[in-house]
Amino acid sequence: MSAKKKPWVKSAFSQLTMTPKAGPVTVPYKRTRSAAAAAAKAADATVEPTPPNTPQIVDLTLNEDDEGEANAATPVVSENWMDCFAPSTSEDLAVHPKKVGDVRNWLQHCEAMRKKYPAQICLLTGPAGCGKTATLRVLAQEMGYELQEWINPTDCEEINALGDQPNEGTYMGSQLQAFKSFLLRASRYKSLLSTGNKRLLLVEDFPNCLLKDAAATFEDLLDEYANYGKSPLVFIVADSKSRMLNISYKLFTDQLKAKLRIEHISFNSIAATLMQKSMKRFATLMQQSQHKSLYKLPTQTVLDSIVVCAQGDIRNALINLHFGSLKGAPGMETKQLNVSAPSKGRKRKATNTLKSIGRDESITMMHALGRVFNPKYTEAKDKCLLHNPEDLAEAFSTEPRNFVNFIHANYLPHFQDIADVNSALNDIGLADMLLQEYRDESLSLVGLTIAVRGCMVANVAPVSGWMPVRGPKRLTIEPQLTPAEQKTLGVASGRISKRLYASEYSSFVKLIADKTN
Amino acid sequence: MALWVDKYRPRELSKLDYHKDQAENLRNLCKQSDFPHLMFYGPSGAGKKTRIMCLLREMYGAGVERLRNETMNFTTPSNRKIDIMTVGSNYHLEVNPSDAGMYDRTVVIDLIKQVAQTHQIDVNGQREFKVIVISEGDELTKDAQHALRRTMEKYVATCRIILSVNSTSRIIPAIRSRCLGIRVPAPSEAEMIAVLQNTCKREGLVLPPELAKRVVEKSERNMRRALLMLEASKVQQYPFTAQQQIAELDWQVYLRETAAQIVSEQTPAKLEKIRDRLYELLSQGVPPNLIFRGLVEQLVNNCDMSIKAKTLEYATQYEHRMQNGAKHIFHLEAFVAQFMNIYKKFLAELVMTDDF
Repeated sequence: MSAKKKPWVKSAFSQLTMTPKAGPVTVPYKRTRSAAAAAAKAADATVEPTPPNTPQIVDLTLNEDDEGEANAATPVVSENWMDCFAPSTSEDLAVHPKKVGDVRNWLQHCEAMRKKYPAQICLLTGPAGCGKTATLRVLAQEMGYELQEWINPTDCEEINALGDQPNEGTYMGSQLQAFKSFLLRASRYKSLLSTGNKRLLLVEDFPNCLLKDAAATFEDLLDEYANYGKSPLVFIVADSKSRMLNISYKLFTDQLKAKLRIEHISFNSIAATLMQKSMKRFATLMQQSQHKSLYKLPTQTVLDSIVVCAQGDIRNALINLHFGSLKGAPGMETKQLNVSAPSKGRKRKATNTLKSIGRDESITMMHALGRVFNPKYTEAKDKCLLHNPEDLAEAFSTEPRNFVNFIHANYLPHFQDIADVNSALNDIGLADMLLQEYRDESLSLVGLTIAVRGCMVANVAPVSGWMPVRGPKRLTIEPQLTPAEQKTLGVASGRISKRLYASEYSSFVKLIADKTN
Repeated sequence: MALWVDKYRPRELSKLDYHKDQAENLRNLCKQSDFPHLMFYGPSGAGKKTRIMCLLREMYGAGVERLRNETMNFTTPSNRKIDIMTVGSNYHLEVNPSDAGMYDRTVVIDLIKQVAQTHQIDVNGQREFKVIVISEGDELTKDAQHALRRTMEKYVATCRIILSVNSTSRIIPAIRSRCLGIRVPAPSEAEMIAVLQNTCKREGLVLPPELAKRVVEKSERNMRRALLMLEASKVQQYPFTAQQQIAELDWQVYLRETAAQIVSEQTPAKLEKIRDRLYELLSQGVPPNLIFRGLVEQLVNNCDMSIKAKTLEYATQYEHRMQNGAKHIFHLEAFVAQFMNIYKKFLAELVMTDDF
C-alpha cells in the first residue's frame, strides 16, 4: 500500500487512540471520522450517558488554553452533548417499532446464514433525521455486532489537486480501490482490540466517484463483495428530491436488488406522537444531575412547537431543543400557525411553530396549487389572504414558468363567474409576458407573484370540491403527410413551411388527395 | 401530379399575369450586372415567391429550375441538432428558418456562411454571387434578424439575400434599410378571375363566371388559396355549377363554430371547452396570429355595434401580449374570457332596459 493511503489504513485501527471502556455490555465500535464530523452527523449516535466520574470533560465554549480558569465559571457538558441524548436501547428509539423489527429480522437472518452466505447486503433509505443510523447502531450493539464504517478519505483528492498526477483517472481509481479494499478487508479481519467476533460494515458516505454514472462499476463491486465478503453490509441512503443525487434510485437498481437479494428497508419520517414521546425522554434526561446545571426545562408550548416545525426530523428537533433550553438563552419565540377551529373530541392540536429557527416549510406543487385556487382569508376585520401570495411565489421561484403553466392548466374549474376568470387570466397573461423578458432576472419572480396573486384575489367565490390536477398540455406540431398527400404535393413539399402548410394547404390537399388517389 | 398552383405557376417574368409594370422593372434590374439584397413584401398569396423565382430564372437561366431537396443539419450552441429542409439549385437556396423555431439564429448564420464562403464556379460568365431566398422572413426572431444583418454585410461579395415577408413591420429597421423593398400587392378581383378562367381553360374545364366570382370572394384575394379552392371544388364536383359548394379551409370553419359557441354561452365551463378547441387548432400547426385574427373577425361580426369598439381595443392589447409572450394559448384564452365578460354584461343590460 502506498504512502498516500496510509491515513486510511490507520483510520481502520483508530481504536488505538481511544481508551477502552469498562462496562461489560459495551461493545466498542469504530468511527473513523474526526470528532467534529461525528458530532455533526451522528445526532443520535449510541454512546451511553457517560458516568459522572469519567474524566473526559470537554469544554465546548472555550479553547483548551484557558481551560483552567474557565472551568469554574461556565457550566460544562460532558463529551458531545448530543451523545447524551442518543438512544441506547431499542425501546428508546423514536422509530416506529415495525421498522425496528424489520432491521432486527434482517440481522437475525444474517446470523442464521452466517456460515453459508456471510455477505448479506441491506439498504436503508428514508428522509433525513428519521433515525436510520441510530436504529442500526442500537441494534448492532444489542446483537453484538461491531460496526465498521467507511469514510471517504480526503488525501486522494489533495494529490490530484496538487497536480502530482496529471492523468485524471488516478483519482477515481484510487478512491474506488480504497473502497474496495475496505469492503473486503474490513469484513475479513478483525481489529486488534475488538472483543467481538461479528462485524457489520456500514457505508453511509458513498465514494464520490460512484455518484456520477458509475452504476456498472458499483454493480461489479457488489458482485465481488457478495462472493468474497465475510460480514453483512449495510448501506444507508438519505432520500433526496432530485433524481440526480438520488443514490438509492441511481445505484440500487431493481435488477441489482433482485440479483444480490438486497434487503431494502425504507423508513418514514418520525410521527408526531413518537416524537412527543422522545421529547419527554429528552426532558427527563435534562433533569438528571449532570445536566441540571446546563439546562432549564422548556415549556410545553416550546416543546410542541419544536415537534411541529421539525417535520419528522428527530435530529433537528434535538438540536432545537438543546438550543432552546440552554440556561441563559432567551425564551424561544413562537408564532401562531393557522388555527383551525378545534373540533370536538380531538385533543388540543399543536398550533405553534418556532419563529426563529426550524426547517424551512417545504411545500409541494399540489399543496401550493390548492392554496392558490382556494384562497382563504383571515377572520380579522381587515380581511387579508391567509397564505401570503409572495411566500407561495417565493417557494417556486426556481421554476416560475412551470408553476404558471400549472396554474393555467388547472384554474378554470375553480371559478364560478366569467368576470373573475377574466381578471385572473388577464394577470396570468401578464405574467407570461414578464416571464418572457430575459433581460431582468427579478422580473420572473414578479411575474410569478402577479399570476399567483391575481388568481387568488380574483377568485371571489371559489368552487370547492375535489378536482384532479392536470399537467400543462404540451403542443407537438408534427403534421405527418400521408403518402397520397405527399404525392399530390410533389417536389414542392420542400418549399412549403410547416405553418404555411397548416394554414393554407392542408385542408385542400387532403381533399384533393382523397379523391384523386 | 402536381397541384394547379405549382403546375400553372408563371416561370418567366414576361409571362406573369398581373403587375406587369413591376415585372418590367425587375427585368431591368437584372440587366445590370449587380443587384442589392431584396425584400419582397405583400400579403399571403399575392405572388411574391413566383416573382422571386421568375427573377432568378431571368438572371441564371433555366438552371434554377433544376431543384433538389436537401436536408441540412445544424448544431446549436446548446448542442442540439436540428434538421432543416431546403430547396436549391446550383445558383440559389431556399430556406424556411422559421421551421427551426427559436433556433433560427443558428440556421441563418451557419447557412449563409456555408453558402457564401464558396465562390460560384464561373461557368459561362454568369453572376459571381449566389442567392439565398429566405421565406417567411418576418417570422425570424429578433435575435436571428440581428445576426442576419451582420452576415449580410460581411458576405455581400459572394451572396445576395432575398427576403419574402408578409409585413415589413416585423423586420428590424437595420435590415429594412439594407434591402431594396419590392411591394407585391394582392391581385384585384378581376385579375384573379382572369387567372382562374385561364387555368380552367388550360385544364380543359368550363368555369361558370359566377362560381369564379364566388371563389375569389371566399379566398380573400389570396391567389394561392383561390387556386387550391378551385381545384378542391373540382375534385368534389365536376361539371361546375354556379351555386355549388366551395371547399373551405378546415380551420376557418372550425374557428367560425368556435366563435358561435362563445357567443352562445359565457361561463367558465364553456371557456374550458373553447380552450380545448383552441389547443386543437394550435396543435394542427395553424399560426396563433391567424387564429387570433380569425377569432376577432368572427366575434366582431357576431356582436352588437356598441361593444365592437371595446372588443377591438382589447384584441389589440392581447395580441400585443401574445407577440411578446411565450404561451400563445394564455392570450387567446384571455381574449375569449374578456369578450365573454363584455358580452355577458351587455346581455344583462339589455334585459334591464327591456324591463322598463
